[in-house]
Amino acid sequence: MIRVAAVGDIHMGAESQGVLRPAFDTLPDCADLLLLAGDLTRHGTPEEARVVAREVKGLAVPVVAVLGNHDHHDDQPEKVTGILQDADVTVLEGQSTVLDCAGTRVGVAGTKGFGGGFVGRSAGEFGEPLMKEFVRYSRRCADGLRGALDELRERDCEARIALTHFSPVADTLAGEPLEIYPFLGSYLLAEAIDTGGADLSVHGHAHMGTEHGMTAGGVRVRNVAQPVIRRAFNVYQLHTADEGAARV
Amino acid sequence: MTGPAGNIEYRVAHLRERLAAEELGELGVRVEVRGQAVVITGTVPSAECRDILLRTAREELADLAVHSDVVVAENTSPDHAEELP
Repeated sequence: MIRVAAVGDIHMGAESQGVLRPAFDTLPDCADLLLLAGDLTRHGTPEEARVVAREVKGLAVPVVAVLGNHDHHDDQPEKVTGILQDADVTVLEGQSTVLDCAGTRVGVAGTKGFGGGFVGRSAGEFGEPLMKEFVRYSRRCADGLRGALDELRERDCEARIALTHFSPVADTLAGEPLEIYPFLGSYLLAEAIDTGGADLSVHGHAHMGTEHGMTAGGVRVRNVAQPVIRRAFNVYQLHTADEGAARV
Repeated sequence: MTGPAGNIEYRVAHLRERLAAEELGELGVRVEVRGQAVVITGTVPSAECRDILLRTAREELADLAVHSDVVVAENTSPDHAEELP
């Protein structure tokens, strides 16, 4: 069993230092790793990124993150990434990482992702250059996630997790106005997850959404935006394939 | 006020633009017109953010009633895990 702690949308600013650390310090008692599902800062400034970095530096569990749209706002995502990496956070964008959690190999594939909407109600790659680029960018993010999940399949993981900021499904947006769904996620992410394969999908971004959802392929999806889970993080106990075989 | 400048819907839209553009970078709260009043709901990262949010709203919508149900994010550890068999 893998114990996965996850939270997104912590939106840290100058006055936030220390608010999450007491809860994060309890992680070794209840979790094997911490996933951060983007929007770690308010404006994506290096100063805000340093607040986040100090909040997670030296934790007793590995920390894996993707950035969110807020973390891009100051147009310095590479700098934000670097500051987090200096605090030993693994930051994924179209990449994967494999962690050894108490002898179990856990793979995490991540991308920020982007919008576009869901099947039958989605933006098309058509018309003005900006519109085409909008959809192409979303597709590049999803392709990056698919590639990262494919890599994990080759690396003998007992559990695979897809980590995104934008949502792969509409289920976990319930509570948000329908009109803004195309800005909250894309079915392209779900298609990547179902094609590449994963045991769990974790995202943030939709503050007014719902925690539980599922892709069309049956992968469980959890919206861990902090306003949704109303805690410093949530923990998911994920049973591995080997355990399942042992139970049979 | 009459004309577009006095239209409550546009004023709410301008408030939302300010909340996103200014120091809060806030896109996650809901601002809705209810009769002659405006209701603001959602979760913000800190009490300071809530103060700034409400101050900005009362500035922008000075002559309107502004009702708030904005809560501050909770930072406690969970008391149980969800099992995913």
